[in-house]
Amino acid sequence: MNSERYIGVFDNEEFFEKAVQTLKDAKIDIEELYMPVPVHHAIKNITGSSRLPVFAYILGWTAVISIFSFLYYTTVISWPLNIGGKPSAAYPSFVIVTLVLTILTVTIISLIVFTIKAKLYPGKPALVFDNRALDDKFLIVLTNQKTPDAGAILRQNGANEIIVKTL
Amino acid sequence: MYNTKVRGELIEGNKTLADVTSDILRPIEAPAPTWWFVAMALSSLAVLWGVYSMYLTVAYGIGMWNLNNSVGWGWDIINFVWWIGIGHAGTAFSIFLLILRQKWRTSINRAAEAMTVFAVICAGMFPALHMGRIWDAFFIFPYPNTRGPLWVNFNSPLFWDFTAISTYLTISASFWYLGMLPDFGTIRDRTTSKVRKALYGFFAMGWTGSSRQWQRYEAMAFVLGGMAALLVVSVHSIVSTDFAASVEPGWHTTIFPPYFVVGAIFSGFAMVMTLMIIIRKFYKLHAYITDSHLNATAKILTFVSLIMGTAYLTEIFIAWYSGGKFEIFTFFHNRITGDYAPQFWTMFICNAIIPQLFWFKKVRSNLGMLFIISIIINIGMWFERYNIIVTSLAKDYLPSSWATYSPSIVEVGVFVGTIGIFSTGVLLFFRYIPMMAIHELKTVVNPADKGDHNQFVN
Repeated sequence: MNSERYIGVFDNEEFFEKAVQTLKDAKIDIEELYMPVPVHHAIKNITGSSRLPVFAYILGWTAVISIFSFLYYTTVISWPLNIGGKPSAAYPSFVIVTLVLTILTVTIISLIVFTIKAKLYPGKPALVFDNRALDDKFLIVLTNQKTPDAGAILRQNGANEIIVKTL
Repeated sequence: MYNTKVRGELIEGNKTLADVTSDILRPIEAPAPTWWFVAMALSSLAVLWGVYSMYLTVAYGIGMWNLNNSVGWGWDIINFVWWIGIGHAGTAFSIFLLILRQKWRTSINRAAEAMTVFAVICAGMFPALHMGRIWDAFFIFPYPNTRGPLWVNFNSPLFWDFTAISTYLTISASFWYLGMLPDFGTIRDRTTSKVRKALYGFFAMGWTGSSRQWQRYEAMAFVLGGMAALLVVSVHSIVSTDFAASVEPGWHTTIFPPYFVVGAIFSGFAMVMTLMIIIRKFYKLHAYITDSHLNATAKILTFVSLIMGTAYLTEIFIAWYSGGKFEIFTFFHNRITGDYAPQFWTMFICNAIIPQLFWFKKVRSNLGMLFIISIIINIGMWFERYNIIVTSLAKDYLPSSWATYSPSIVEVGVFVGTIGIFSTGVLLFFRYIPMMAIHELKTVVNPADKGDHNQFVN
């Protein structure tokens, strides 16, 4: 649905952070923030915490159990052609492969989940409201639909510029 | 500007956020300097020689190398361990300094991670070439197969090594690339060139710096950092088991895993120092790689050098204390004195004695001395691997199997080729990728976020 976006451009990180807090306290719906460095308090106000570390932790234990079972199967159970002897079931030596492959599994699956959740893929066109957002400006984006006086509110909260864009 | 009581300003000159962007992107936006083309030409020649030597190795077999029945591992495995050691420090540097909340890492971590990726690629070539029949390399993958089926031997240190190196390469490259996403986005939004916009835009993967992206990015960096920290300690320990799990005199010792990890960090930090000096000098980034950065790295090298010296002396002491005559022969009559004394003493002097010059502030603040000593350390670390591998194999338990070894021109060519691949990679990195993590440097310039930036930042 087309609507006007009001973009408050801030030069200063502290004013930006305070503005986000004020808007949040006033229950104004912020559509998105854009910043060249992560401003944690502002980010937490919008998104909360990520569950990715918890997911990775659970995934890690799942990987440990699966890989250890795989090693047990391949080294202890499945060895149908016995030429030159079968490797002994030396459990301590399973630890190293289990550790390394767990790290590999957690990394690869977490990366896949990260790119899906952050909606990132090679060649994706970026929705850039202002080219300076990854240089030295901090942006707060409000929609006119949800916030009727968006421009005035941003100005009151210390935005150095207001840009209006229709998407 | 971020100040620490110990190190003073981490970025000199009251830079603004915009200054950081333009300073770091200047080498990418400006035409390449003449020295870059000269260095690139030399590196390409080295690569050509390396590729030809690799062709000879693959086409005619490893008979092209001077290995024999006794010295079955020569320059190939020396160079493999040397490169993997250098590659070790990039991620170690990045992760350990992150865990220890050392903000001075922000100027250096990108180059250190780049170094890791190129060094591990070089390292990986040696075991692959050493297989002889490289086209059968897939035999090492554990998959249900038609050869029996026979699974690979999961109890073998050589298989552990394969899994560790491939995992290390995957994770280091992912960690490096993840850190570059915001910077690729910065280049995309800043450039006026359509080609650059398209290329960097492709690799930026739609990065906009939105709160949702930053939130997930930091969580991912946190997970990757945790995984990589585990791996940093385990990879070189695993490499050391290639030796320690055997029965060769001089190899079969429990000191090997920590000794290898510390040695790897030592050579890698020395290479980081070499790169820092090149970046500072040739790209005039004095404001970002300050005397304080070099001073801190030199102090770490001094400390690690002391650990190396202690490790060498411990090995010698244990050989004497154990009373094992083969160990005593290897250390006292084959390394300290005997045929391989020059290699032993080169190793000892380069790694344990010369870095002690860093105790003097004058040496630590002299760019030329820092550069020379950083190179000397890596020469010493190469000799350490020579010392371990060749001396033990050339003279083991049976005098009837003693042999001499010197590399063939093909082995030298493969080594020179990997140096060429590494330097070509580093030169391309200088030219096309921001040498420092712009978004991380900005957290040092503008720490208004009450010190929280160092929470999860990659």
